[in-house]
Amino acid sequence: MLAKCATRTLANVYGGLRAIATSSVQRSDNLFVHRDTPEDNPNIPFEFTAENKKRVEAILSIYPEGHKRGAMIPLLDLAQRQYGWLPISAMHKVAEILDLPNMRVYEVATFYTMFMRKPTGKYHIQVCTTTPCWLRGSDEILETCKKQLGIGVGDTTKDKKFTISEVECLGACVNAPMVAVNDDYYEDLTAKDMQDILSDLKADKISPPGPRNGRFASEPAGNATSLTEEPKGPGFGLQAGL
Amino acid sequence: MAKFLGINRLAKLFQIIRESGGLKQTYLKLYRNDDLKIGTLVGIDKYGNKYFENPYYFYGRNRWIEFAPHVNMDYDGSQIPADWYGWMHYKTDLPPIRDGSRPKYKWLADHSENLSGTKEAYMPYSTTPPKVEAWDPKAKK
Amino acid sequence: MIRAPLVKALGALSSPTHQIQIGSRAVRTTAVIAQQAPAKAPEKIEVFVDDIPVQVLPGTTVLQAAAQIGVEIPRFCYHERLAVAGNCRMCLVEVEKSPKPVAACAMPVMKGWRIKTNSDLTRKAREGVMEFLLMNHPLDCPICDQGGECDLQDQAMAFGSDRSRFTDINYTGKRAVEDKDIGPLVKTIMTRCIHCTRCVRFASEIAGVDDLGTTGRGNDMQIGTYVEKLFLTELSGNVIDLCPVGALTNKPYSFVARPWEIRKVSSIDVLDAVGSNIVVSTRTNEVLRILPRENEDVNEEWLADKSRFACDGLKRQRLVAPMVRMPNGELQAVEWEGALIAVAKALKKANGQVAGVSGQLADVESLVALKDLVNRLEGETLVTEQGFIKGAGSDVRANYLLNSTIAGLEEADAVLLVGTNPRYEAPLVNTRLRKAYVHNELQIASIGPKIDLSYQHENLGADASLIKDVCSGTHAFSKVLEGAKKPAIIIGADLLERPDGAAIHATILDYCQKLKKKDWNPFNVLQNNAAQVGALDVGYQAGVEAVIKAQPKVLFLLNADAGKLTREQLPKDCFIVYIGSHGDNGASIADAVLPGAAYTEKQAIYVNTEGRPQQTLTAVSPPGMAREDWKILRAISEVVSTPLPYDTLDELRSRLEDLGPHLTRLGELEPASLSEAGSQATISKSINGGPIDVKQKELRDYFMTDAVSRASPTMAKCISAVNKQQRQNEQAKQSVAI
Repeated sequence: MLAKCATRTLANVYGGLRAIATSSVQRSDNLFVHRDTPEDNPNIPFEFTAENKKRVEAILSIYPEGHKRGAMIPLLDLAQRQYGWLPISAMHKVAEILDLPNMRVYEVATFYTMFMRKPTGKYHIQVCTTTPCWLRGSDEILETCKKQLGIGVGDTTKDKKFTISEVECLGACVNAPMVAVNDDYYEDLTAKDMQDILSDLKADKISPPGPRNGRFASEPAGNATSLTEEPKGPGFGLQAGL
Repeated sequence: MAKFLGINRLAKLFQIIRESGGLKQTYLKLYRNDDLKIGTLVGIDKYGNKYFENPYYFYGRNRWIEFAPHVNMDYDGSQIPADWYGWMHYKTDLPPIRDGSRPKYKWLADHSENLSGTKEAYMPYSTTPPKVEAWDPKAKK
Repeated sequence: MIRAPLVKALGALSSPTHQIQIGSRAVRTTAVIAQQAPAKAPEKIEVFVDDIPVQVLPGTTVLQAAAQIGVEIPRFCYHERLAVAGNCRMCLVEVEKSPKPVAACAMPVMKGWRIKTNSDLTRKAREGVMEFLLMNHPLDCPICDQGGECDLQDQAMAFGSDRSRFTDINYTGKRAVEDKDIGPLVKTIMTRCIHCTRCVRFASEIAGVDDLGTTGRGNDMQIGTYVEKLFLTELSGNVIDLCPVGALTNKPYSFVARPWEIRKVSSIDVLDAVGSNIVVSTRTNEVLRILPRENEDVNEEWLADKSRFACDGLKRQRLVAPMVRMPNGELQAVEWEGALIAVAKALKKANGQVAGVSGQLADVESLVALKDLVNRLEGETLVTEQGFIKGAGSDVRANYLLNSTIAGLEEADAVLLVGTNPRYEAPLVNTRLRKAYVHNELQIASIGPKIDLSYQHENLGADASLIKDVCSGTHAFSKVLEGAKKPAIIIGADLLERPDGAAIHATILDYCQKLKKKDWNPFNVLQNNAAQVGALDVGYQAGVEAVIKAQPKVLFLLNADAGKLTREQLPKDCFIVYIGSHGDNGASIADAVLPGAAYTEKQAIYVNTEGRPQQTLTAVSPPGMAREDWKILRAISEVVSTPLPYDTLDELRSRLEDLGPHLTRLGELEPASLSEAGSQATISKSINGGPIDVKQKELRDYFMTDAVSRASPTMAKCISAVNKQQRQNEQAKQSVAI
């Protein structure tokens, strides 16, 4: 604690002395090399389920001969959906299916942030913290999540049920602040709403996705504020002479 | 007048010869020390070196050593032990025999002279591997 | 593997540079492309580089167009032998009427473009790119092995800004990436990496080992193997040359020398039969490292790992003084005089029963000197350690050469490998085959054990009778060969050592008479050592059986270290004289050991597997009392009072010219026509069945094949690294089974 304080003070002093505004370097919290762990190592077998094997066939059939490697992202996604996250053996399986060197699959899997290469909970809480959501109070939402689940950003609960991630814009700014749980968007949230959603999920009850403030979609919250009057007929505002 | 003629110097010479113990001894002393001086014997260290002083000579030459006879011509400045070193180099005017405040410990090492240039000189061995390692026919593969 | 069709597709669809390369594969540099336009040359278009008009083919990139008039555009990621990546942005140039600067390496020129390689905008763009690169590059040039030969250093000097705006150093620190352990040959300092991806492209395109890649994105992107894995291939050293910065450096050479302290000598590699052109870097009479030298006909600009890293073997196990076996059976170092007299005495007693065996590293000069000496002493038996077909097979050059030539194999469209593993026997021949496979739809089949050649090929089986099937035209692959425009059959030299080698040779030769085209000789023998072709050229017989039959009284071993001849096979009173550079199998059975010079220590001619004579140059002097091999033989001849008629290298070279005029035409290839190579009717063509094997099946077999590489500690490390990796893989497999 003390050390942290000291570092912070020092940093302030330095910043002040140099009088140069620098933003801190944002580094990903993910590791871009693989380390064998008990949960994730090449010796853990991975096999697509019978049902998913059919899906693999269907995905592969979309791509013309010679361009099968285009199926890599869909297949990785399928593997992630089946396993909950993407272990290295799943990458190897995809490489085997596509007849590619393993490295080519690693490259893709590490590039996309939505491929989870470490154990992830059953419910992946993705809190948007990009500017519109942040302005509308995403800090509060994130705080609620952390408090209620007792974990930090990037962590997974002990029962492997929840993982919190801070994500960039998910494209639902009109309904900010928003949170995506797996594939479902929960929008127009308040701290209370977030608590409800999480306690529902704890009981494995999935609350209906969508806006929480009574809106159907992204229409204005109250009544329309512009273009409220009847449209003017043709010839409106023209000079009399015309 | 005597000074002018240098007679006092001649007298000095005769005095030196007398105190050295005859012509032969004087010659030997000159041969060994390249110098002829007389002075008071200040002390003798445990190795047999004699230390002299004569304020008649100017500073820097008024203290000298006659090395122990057994080293013959193989004398060397580093044969002066540490306790006399200070006096010889005017760090102190108190020679060790008269200086009671000098510490004497059992663990003090004996003085050793500088062995550079002799057979006993310290030679570090090379740690550099040879550029080319030769084949040794006896070495078993 | 899948990359191959992709590259092809890319080449056909998007990348104009590839089209050029496919259009005229034999030529590489853009300047040559322009001169040797294909028969139906598309109309050239005119562009202006710095207001100088240039005529180029459509599809030429800006960078290539500029290169035609000698304007060099700075680049990091672009490399003419690799696919275009376009990710370093250093080659940005201004094009008039283009709103933004364009990446010269990837942008094909359009008609009438005015390219400005030295305008304000261009310079500003370069300066900006350089600033970004340096921002994430450590300032450790003083401790960096690349310092002095670093592209980033040079280009920062030439194109970078003269002052820094980087003030962040105490606050957040620079980018730092953990180093990867990719093997005993390549040292990685990944923080220095500028992400040009040349190594990634080399590994996947040239070496065919897709172990390197880029992981992560943005600022966190890094080059590596992702999993903990060694980058083990026989060509791994080339990524060191390719790396424009000090991220990948030579591990055995690390912290050894600076480029400006080094004396460079152009020479030839002799550790395989390719005869790669090399540059030997020396300092204070010590070989420090070996780099490839560009030669389009032989090694392009690559070099195999053994040739590059085995140079520390030149400093170990060396013979530095003559030795004579004493009555107590031990070799003892003596003066030259004593050794020569001991040899001369034995020769006097031998009464003409003298024989010579030459080994893997013997140069042509000493081969000729030994031959002349033995002949003068009325000896007849002169053989090479490496076997070949029996009989008169080696009288005709075409019988034992790689007739299609190394560069020619790039144009082949169907290749049959018989009992050879070019990947390890001649890695740079294999890169040509791989290149043809990637760019030329080359179909490859092999007869022999199942091996990994770094490209897809059809293994027809290991049985020798398959050769007969193929050559009689009944096998499925015969159709492929017969339908091909430029078919080639490559026979491993070891295969011809078999008792039925002559039959195999004759069968394939007959078939090749059928396959041959105008200006195309499909018959190839891939030799596996640098001395063989030279020895056969000057009239040595192949195989040590002749020596065992002759039972000589004095036997000369000239660099013969393969251990094919043992003491027991020779008469008890046989006096063995070993002349060579290393204490190995040959020296340990010898009665007199005369220390010779290794290939970096003498000026000597070697003939490579395609029959191209090339010479090594003296980079360092022989260690201790060692002398050049031919001079030793000359001295022996003097002592036995039949002096050889040459005192200098020039005189010896003119003797060489008498024996074979092609031998002294250095660097030139004398084509041996196939029609001369008549198959010997007398030999029965019965190929015994039985499996065909190759000696070097896996990477670990590759590293130690001759006296130099056997003495090399680096090569020993390579083998243990390969073994370790394999052990780990096996353990992993076992734990799965459990």
